[in-house]
Amino acid sequence: MTTQQLRPIVSVFPIKGKVKTIKQVPLPSVFSAPIRPDVVRFVHTNMAKNNRQAHAVSTTAGEQTSATSWGTGRAVARIPRVKGSGTGRSGQAAFGNMCRGGRMYAPKKVWRKWHRKINTNQKRYAVCSAIAATAVTPLVMSRGHRVNKLPELPLVVSDQLQSLTKTRQAVKFLKFIGAYRDVEKVIRTKKTRVGQGKYRNRRHVLRKGPMVVYARNLGIKKAFRNIPGVETASVYTLNLLKLAPGSQMGRFIIWTESAFKLLEDIYGSWEKPSKFKSGFYLPRPVMVNTDVERIIKSDQVQTVLRNRRPRSRKYGKKIQRADPYEDMSVMLKLNPYYKTKLQKQKELEEKNKEERKEIVDKSRKEYEDWLYFSEEEEEEEEEGSDEDREIEVLSDEN
Amino acid sequence: MSKQVPETIKKQVKRSFNSKEVKKEKNEKRMKLLKEIQSKAFKRAEKYEKEYLEQDQKLVELKQKALKEGSFYREPEPKLAFIIRIRGIVGVPPKPRKILQLLRLRRIYSGVFIRLNKSSLRMLHFIDPYVTWGYPDVETVRALIYKRGHARVNHQRKIIDSNEMIYDKLQKYDIVCMEDLVHEIYTVGKNFKHANSFLWAFKLKPPVGGFSTVKKSFVNKGEHGNREQYINTLVKKMI
Repeated sequence: MTTQQLRPIVSVFPIKGKVKTIKQVPLPSVFSAPIRPDVVRFVHTNMAKNNRQAHAVSTTAGEQTSATSWGTGRAVARIPRVKGSGTGRSGQAAFGNMCRGGRMYAPKKVWRKWHRKINTNQKRYAVCSAIAATAVTPLVMSRGHRVNKLPELPLVVSDQLQSLTKTRQAVKFLKFIGAYRDVEKVIRTKKTRVGQGKYRNRRHVLRKGPMVVYARNLGIKKAFRNIPGVETASVYTLNLLKLAPGSQMGRFIIWTESAFKLLEDIYGSWEKPSKFKSGFYLPRPVMVNTDVERIIKSDQVQTVLRNRRPRSRKYGKKIQRADPYEDMSVMLKLNPYYKTKLQKQKELEEKNKEERKEIVDKSRKEYEDWLYFSEEEEEEEEEGSDEDREIEVLSDEN
Repeated sequence: MSKQVPETIKKQVKRSFNSKEVKKEKNEKRMKLLKEIQSKAFKRAEKYEKEYLEQDQKLVELKQKALKEGSFYREPEPKLAFIIRIRGIVGVPPKPRKILQLLRLRRIYSGVFIRLNKSSLRMLHFIDPYVTWGYPDVETVRALIYKRGHARVNHQRKIIDSNEMIYDKLQKYDIVCMEDLVHEIYTVGKNFKHANSFLWAFKLKPPVGGFSTVKKSFVNKGEHGNREQYINTLVKKMI
């Protein structure tokens, strides 16, 4: 904010002849004020309440009876009933808001708070925002103004405009500069008001057309007075309700050159305070440079950042892995010795098998030999007494 | 007309920490490390196989020797137990509840390894009705860690899918591969605590064939309490 603000140049156009730049002026600092629709909305909604007139219901409305409740026991509701007889009104319910001819619920009072106080700074902030918005073409267009044929926005015009006296001259100017399309729109869309305002002296509804802002009124006010939709305003007293009608920013404004230049003095800048509003500096935006992407990608930021961490798996994301006892590749990843181990086991098994086979064969052979030998012996011996054979008997002595 | 590359992109590429060269270098380093780990894993697995075999043989030898001499060989008391929680979380009194929490047995059919000493035996005594425990052998420890072993990484439960995972966490305790982990747990080494806490509590399945009755102790033909070596058959049914 303390750096020198490079201000763009705005062209000044004549009021007749050819539409070309006759002069160039720097853009006042106001147009760089932060555009805050929230502030404008707040201030607008409260400011709009300030031109209200008090209204209320009569204090005696619905109370001008001496009705009393009949109490219980008469098969009727307990609401107060009009006393007397001889007329239709007698016995009818009275007083309650639900009753016909009764007073309303919470009768309106004139001492309702009609007006709103708004902080001065907030008001000024809103006006600065609204003025800044008038230079933003998309905002002006979205508000509904027909600004296609304009040579430039903001539209600044020579001070000769302030000396116009005739409406004819004013219309000619508007057509010359390309602003008449907006006025045509206003004329075209003039309608009878919807609702009861139409018979309450608010019969017609008009759109808002261009607003002409001047520094000195040398006839301009009267010249533009009768053109539908067009409003004039002195630059010293710019009204938010006119700058952002319906709290919608982006009014189409035609500035006179001196009015445009005065904006710098009236609203000040970030370095110099306003000359007319004591102690007022232009509101500062929260971010000076709103191009966040560019800031992040800049050298100053990027060189200070730490390394990007490796993409970690999200919390809770499961990694699928096969059962190592079923999938050999998984097993080998975890235990590269496993295959060798199985091989060794196999070899050992086979070795044991062979050894066992040897032992089994040997013992079988012995048994068969013994069997064979015993058969031969039986054949040889006729008597074959058991007592001759030497049999080892396990006895207690052994 | 050559393609114009925006200045910011050029700068980005130059500045990039994930540029091709850097990535390549990193990758090479990592590959080298993985090779080292795998070779270590191979050698150590071999060593441990021998060690386990020797242990078994030694035990047999000592027993035989004692038998010959006519005396008895008293085996060393088991150092490692595997506990499985076999009762749910409803209606558990505060003391056993707290002990089960301390042992990380927070849900039914969860299992943990624990080293046996006087303090832990006292703890087990309190939670006997809610757990069954015993002395696992090498194959049980292996099966649990290989098949159901999950690591606690960054407060997350992640399946152990490579030795790199183990290396990252337990390298400072000289545990770099699965077999190291198994050995540390089975032999209750110096760094048993760190190896055990690296492992998330095992989540087992209900046993194939079911339980008889959890309400009775194992000794009484039920299921809870100390079942010594029969824990191995149970784990086979639950793994």
